Amino acid sequence: MCMSDSEYDVVVIGGGSTGTAVARDCAMRGLKTLLLERDDIASATTGTCAGMISSGLKYRGEPDIMNICSSEVMYLLKIARHIVMKNPILVPILDLSLVASDGSYIDAYSEHADERDVPEMVFITPEATLELEPLIHPDIIAGVYFEEFFIDPFRLCLLQALDAKNHGAEIRTYCEVIGFEKSDGEIQGLVYYNRISGQTETATSKLIVNASGPWADKLAQAGGAELELRFNKGAHVIFDRRVVNVGINAKAIDGRWIYLFPHENTTLLGTTALDTWEDPDTLVATYDEIEYLLQSIESVIPSIREARIIRTMTGVRPLVAEWNIPEDDVTRGYEVVDHENGMISFTGGKLVMCRHMAEAVTDLVTAKLGIKKKCTTHQQPLPGNEDDIDIEALSKEFGVSMHALERLRARRGTEVLKILEMTKEHPEWKSTICTCEPIIEAEIRYSIREEFPQTLNDLRRRLRLGTGPCQGTFCTYKAASILIEELDLQGDDFLVDILDFRAERWKGIRPSMRGEQLAQEELAQGMYACVGNLDQSDVDYDLKPWEEGT
Amino acid sequence: MDHTCDLLVIGGGMAGLVAGSVASEAGLSTILLRKGQSATAFSSGAIDVIGYLPEASEPFTSPKEGLTAIAGLYPLHPYSILGYGENIEPENVVSEIIGRTQESISWLKKNLRNTVASLYGDFKRNIFPITILGTTKPTCLVQKTMYSETLHKDEENVLLFAGFQGNADFKPTAAAKTYLEDRISLGEPPRRVGNCTLRVSPFSKSYNVSSIEIARHMDHESSIDGLAEQLKPQVEQLGATHVALPPVLGIRKALANRQNLEEKIGAEVFELLGFPPSVPGLRLQLALDEVYRKKGGKMFVGHEAVSYERNETNLTRVTARTPHREVKIKPKAVILSSGKYIGGGLRGDENGIRETIFGLMTVTDAYTSAETIVPSRFTNRIAISPEGQPVNSCGLTLDPHFRPVDDDGVEWASNLYSAGAVLAGYDYSVEKSGLGVAAMSGYSAAKNAIDFIREVT
Repeated sequence: MCMSDSEYDVVVIGGGSTGTAVARDCAMRGLKTLLLERDDIASATTGTCAGMISSGLKYRGEPDIMNICSSEVMYLLKIARHIVMKNPILVPILDLSLVASDGSYIDAYSEHADERDVPEMVFITPEATLELEPLIHPDIIAGVYFEEFFIDPFRLCLLQALDAKNHGAEIRTYCEVIGFEKSDGEIQGLVYYNRISGQTETATSKLIVNASGPWADKLAQAGGAELELRFNKGAHVIFDRRVVNVGINAKAIDGRWIYLFPHENTTLLGTTALDTWEDPDTLVATYDEIEYLLQSIESVIPSIREARIIRTMTGVRPLVAEWNIPEDDVTRGYEVVDHENGMISFTGGKLVMCRHMAEAVTDLVTAKLGIKKKCTTHQQPLPGNEDDIDIEALSKEFGVSMHALERLRARRGTEVLKILEMTKEHPEWKSTICTCEPIIEAEIRYSIREEFPQTLNDLRRRLRLGTGPCQGTFCTYKAASILIEELDLQGDDFLVDILDFRAERWKGIRPSMRGEQLAQEELAQGMYACVGNLDQSDVDYDLKPWEEGT
Repeated sequence: MDHTCDLLVIGGGMAGLVAGSVASEAGLSTILLRKGQSATAFSSGAIDVIGYLPEASEPFTSPKEGLTAIAGLYPLHPYSILGYGENIEPENVVSEIIGRTQESISWLKKNLRNTVASLYGDFKRNIFPITILGTTKPTCLVQKTMYSETLHKDEENVLLFAGFQGNADFKPTAAAKTYLEDRISLGEPPRRVGNCTLRVSPFSKSYNVSSIEIARHMDHESSIDGLAEQLKPQVEQLGATHVALPPVLGIRKALANRQNLEEKIGAEVFELLGFPPSVPGLRLQLALDEVYRKKGGKMFVGHEAVSYERNETNLTRVTARTPHREVKIKPKAVILSSGKYIGGGLRGDENGIRETIFGLMTVTDAYTSAETIVPSRFTNRIAISPEGQPVNSCGLTLDPHFRPVDDDGVEWASNLYSAGAVLAGYDYSVEKSGLGVAAMSGYSAAKNAIDFIREVT
């Protein structure tokens, strides 16, 4: 069979966890696959999640879901262990009613503990609880201890996309679908706007997989179908370091469960749950959400307000459309919706299930196309997972700190070797560019060459650039100048990139700005406005969706 | 340990050091408390007086033009306070503001002469030095190593941007592009630029070479020879008439190094304005320290003012602390120049914005109370714009004698004065007025404090 360049078996819309997993599965089963993402990989819902690949404990009422969660965690540990971390979690018990009201989660968790290779959930004494986490309220009467796995959600999506690419798929970021070509109600292809080239392009495809998360209903509609979802906003407050040793689960002021999780070099406090009808691009955390989270966690971590808040982040959950129940009770299962017009959509799901969801939809796609190929996405490793890395030896050989190398390893596994290899010819690329994370110049250059970033924000998702306490104050211009060199861009692009990155960081910093972050922002203004004079720059800077309005 | 003095200055940045120096010069015994590195040391070293009106897009061609506009439109701006002195006729307010600002800037320039931060420029015009981003900004004075008078004058000029290998603070490629695009759109020379990367390896390091390390290295004998050797062929190849370096020409000997390098390579050399950690900021700090000490001022470094005693009208005693000791100081007058959020003079959280030592009344940019505001509500949606971030305009409000006032509009104490970034009513980042306001208010607060002290003794 001969196809032109723009003819595909399947076009996947959306570069989040599900879309990239679908592209990977389709490509691995030999389908000619195109993935279109209107922004960057993991730039919306997935990019604002806590990265938990959960046991499904919260959804123990749905045994199927707990089964899927358990097996998927094990698959991820097999195919992407270099980006998976295990976090111990404590539930501080201040009140007997917390135990008496519902003990079923202990049994539900422990039933699957063995297969996930974690200990069973246990009650521990107040002394043991406080030894694990001294910041917990001293009046606790007991603690519950268990363990959950976490993944770097950005790297997961990117690795799935890169693996899809390695298997022949095309991945196009900054390409927004603007319409569908139909004949007799059947979708034949689609039209998309390439935001980098400024061109409108077309592709024909036998099938379309709509994995666009919070935009899935609009895309289905554009394709002539109906899709109902329940959109729910979740906000996190982010602290400057791992302020707790272990994850904490606690009941919020309204009885919902919230968490405080050490995550990479930071701590995440989340999340809120508010049904939303707003444009997801405009959403920011509100004062109410921030105070709700702080007051809620204060009951178990009384000193939390002394910790330095660096920013907030906000995302939208595309839930299955179940109404008349709270967000917590909506199923975390997913639905594959065949619109029977050439488009298949998803609703619901969780990060941990993305591979499972992709397998289900790819089974449907291959069946429709009459192709018999089995799924292997749970067996083949993702890039970087091939071998172990000896950080200590590499640190001695290359003179890069163990800390920097361990952070590098946690993102990249065996790719560490390729990056360090680059520094043999260019020892100056061992310079630290982002000191919070830390990130060395060689990794930035490697990412630009191998991982198709177009902007500093794309680099942030790939490297955690600018995600630490200084929120990019010191690395924004340094990384921008490397991007300009590598991509041979113009001077205006340099300034626009800086402004874009400051805008995106500011989106999260602004709602929670207090304490040390006031000094940090005074410094950032002092650098980019006062010295750089960028507030007066006449470059073509487009206001971001959250910057518009009043 | 107890000390007595005429004037106690709290804060060792530009405002505090100018105030302390002016007071010492007048023969007062002065003690200055410095908690840590000041925001001045983090600055680019450029002494901005006034570059823009808030929200405006055309820069002022001179401080005089800018101050005239400020006086008319922002009657509570720190510069405008100069116009409220006694016996000033309404028609003389603007000339008073200009005259007294000019006096403080001239004092600064004169006193920094022959220091490591000797200044170029004057009060008559704003100049537009180039930054490490390749952009330009209006300012009044820069250090003599940081400007070229001839760069924009000759059509045939060619500018070479030179960076240093392993120094992540500056990459010449992006800056050269930005600068050239800017010159082309202005239709002005230079019309050719180039870029190159030099190697200096203090301690034979090839990566993570900091600007401060390079600057220290430049102060060593023969460092400039090595630099010139690499730079000369690059200059000749491009036909460069000018060379722009990041601000690393030296800490103690930057000016001599510039002249030395220029002779050796046959092109004019200047430093770009840079970001912290900033060598010119450090030079400025060192120079101001030296001026203050030479005039006889005492400095307690690492001391943080933590508590105070007062009677009905006056502040009587201030206690300062280090990790190892506590000192009690009995001054006749006090100048509070503790900075904004970076300096630690102000602190804000979800319950409001507080002055950290005396609990003085804080106000917003609109001169309403800032004591219970939520800081995030005093911000703009757009991160970097000429509107700035109003939370950076919060601070103290003053009476015509530069004394912080309470909510009844009366001074909090007869002998407490204030200067610098802790003041309300201006956003230095968008106005480009930071070190200018600091110098003017430090100078003026000191003059008022001197009068007060002379009156009581």
